[in-house]
Amino acid sequence: MPEKNTRLPGELSFTVLLLVGSLFLLAQAFGISGFESITSAGMFPMLSALVMVVTAAGVVLRTRRVAPDASDVAESLPKAFARRIVPAVFIWFTLALVAFMLLLPKLGFVISAYLFLLLSMRLLGSTRWVFNAALSAASLAVVYVIFQMVFSVILPKGTWLVGVWL
Amino acid sequence: MQSLEYFLLAWTQPYLLFLVASGTFAGIYIGAIPGLSVTMAVSILISFTFKWPVNEALALISGIYLGGVYGGSRSAILLNIPGAPSAIATALDGYPMAQRGEAGAAIGLTTVMSVIGGFVGILVLAVAAPALSEFALMFAPRDYLLLAIWGILLVGALSGGSLAKGIFAGALGVLIASVGLDPMTAEPRFTFGSVQMTAGISYVAAMIGFFGVAEVLVQLHQLHAKPVKQNVSKIIPSWSLVRKHLPLSLRTSGIGVVVGSLPGAGGDIAALMAYDHAKRSVKNPTRPFGQGAQEGLVAPEAANNAAVGGAYIPMMTLGIPGDAVTAVIIGALYIHGLKPGPMLMIETPQLFWFIVGTLVLANLFLLVFGLTGIKLFAKLVETPKAILLPMILVLSAVGAYAINNNPVDVYWMLGFGVLGYFLKMYGYQVGPIILGMILGPLMDRSYRQAMISAEGKPLQFVSEFFTSPLSLAILSALILTLLSQTSVWQRWRSPA
Repeated sequence: MPEKNTRLPGELSFTVLLLVGSLFLLAQAFGISGFESITSAGMFPMLSALVMVVTAAGVVLRTRRVAPDASDVAESLPKAFARRIVPAVFIWFTLALVAFMLLLPKLGFVISAYLFLLLSMRLLGSTRWVFNAALSAASLAVVYVIFQMVFSVILPKGTWLVGVWL
Repeated sequence: MQSLEYFLLAWTQPYLLFLVASGTFAGIYIGAIPGLSVTMAVSILISFTFKWPVNEALALISGIYLGGVYGGSRSAILLNIPGAPSAIATALDGYPMAQRGEAGAAIGLTTVMSVIGGFVGILVLAVAAPALSEFALMFAPRDYLLLAIWGILLVGALSGGSLAKGIFAGALGVLIASVGLDPMTAEPRFTFGSVQMTAGISYVAAMIGFFGVAEVLVQLHQLHAKPVKQNVSKIIPSWSLVRKHLPLSLRTSGIGVVVGSLPGAGGDIAALMAYDHAKRSVKNPTRPFGQGAQEGLVAPEAANNAAVGGAYIPMMTLGIPGDAVTAVIIGALYIHGLKPGPMLMIETPQLFWFIVGTLVLANLFLLVFGLTGIKLFAKLVETPKAILLPMILVLSAVGAYAINNNPVDVYWMLGFGVLGYFLKMYGYQVGPIILGMILGPLMDRSYRQAMISAEGKPLQFVSEFFTSPLSLAILSALILTLLSQTSVWQRWRSPA
């Protein structure tokens, strides 16, 4: 993947964020044990964070120098960012994913994963509800049997459902 | 004699045999489905095998690794979408062959060449690793430090992307690995006062996040890419065809082993270098390169499977991963209480010979599965992403949860997944992050040991890099890698 000669929408902001994050981590690394000793617990994290700061600064400078992609110039930055980097499908799918992760310990694996599969298949364009419902149920049954029984993974049963079933 | 016994262990125990076979089978299919990488598969599946005996886990992993590297070629040929980065070069000539109605011949040739490459890689591993492990005992902590840095640099440098971004990603991985209590002084590092953070961040959760979740999110941009259906027939290549391409496959297998054995460099780089070698060395290809030359298939496929054996060499002898998959495997070995490196080879040679045995077995299964069931396969790789992507995420969540039966690992996975998505979108590689996470503790320990042996004097610490021939050799390789990324070097190398 050769280095690009144009920058994507939001790329400069992202690299600046990485630089700020790296500076924060450098300060945190310094806070571990400062310059107490050259072999202290904080020395190597400090060196790593310093490398991050230097390289992130280099990337910021380079990104500043390159022009935005020609296809993005015609529209505003938020619009170009939404179209190329965070399209609606990404936002909705990620939200569904966050909901799944949050509900996993509450509703348990089976129900939360089933709801996630149904919702996300629809979000991604599969409009056959009955097919999606049947496929989700069948694939979850396979996952449950393989992982719970063969791999001995204890799948979450859900705190909200304790005493209701299982 | 004992080595042979360990070598044949997986061949003689039906359950292990079954695990290698199912790993290879799963690897081929997972590797072939665009968006599912072998690293992702190993990362997710490895979390399920923590409670297994180590031999069973390794048997499954060997199969997935070899199968996955090969599987990427299938979708490259049939759909013009490489199933894995190591199959990028394969698509250049494989897809034009498929368009001419020669998809079956392309898959057959690819299978046989992958198997040849695989055997060359395993042979070199079996011969070189035991000798190298004796040599590796001479490595001082500063050498390990240099090797680890070189490994991370190589990933950034050889992949052709931005070196600065590669180094940033590697350093980020090192930093993530240092979260928790310092193993030497028990001081908290980056715990932000949280008791839960003192245990550190599970690198398996991070791997699933960076390789699984992030890749799925990136795939959302290609939801509606319609594959072109290919006619697949006449798969098994003739002996004369195999014999014709044998010299090229052996040469490129050599490239694969060497590149694979460099710390941090893997099958993807090996395949591209082999393709380049074929273009330069084959004067009269069957067709022009890029238009369906058989040589354009033979070279990358032999090389990327040979790189598997190569990647095991630094892992087994030095404890330094050859590529992202071996980085994940090292993580698994740690969880099983094993410490990859020269002492592992010397103290538990049975483990090494067992791995060699499973790799040979997986390579044979590759031949069997590779030449059969292609029609079913052609249907499977066309599974709509609307169905496939949510299922990968469910598996990822189960995998992350299975590490400690703790939802916090699932949240880490999600966080790293979203971060990985933006990093990938803006041209950062996630491979160096994982390498950094695996190598971080080794680098931290080696740095402190080297500094203590230099009596805490920075000047003496630096001078030792120049006075030891071994350190100097690794340092030179490291500096050359850095120099190769400068514009002066690139101008000098490019033809006038």
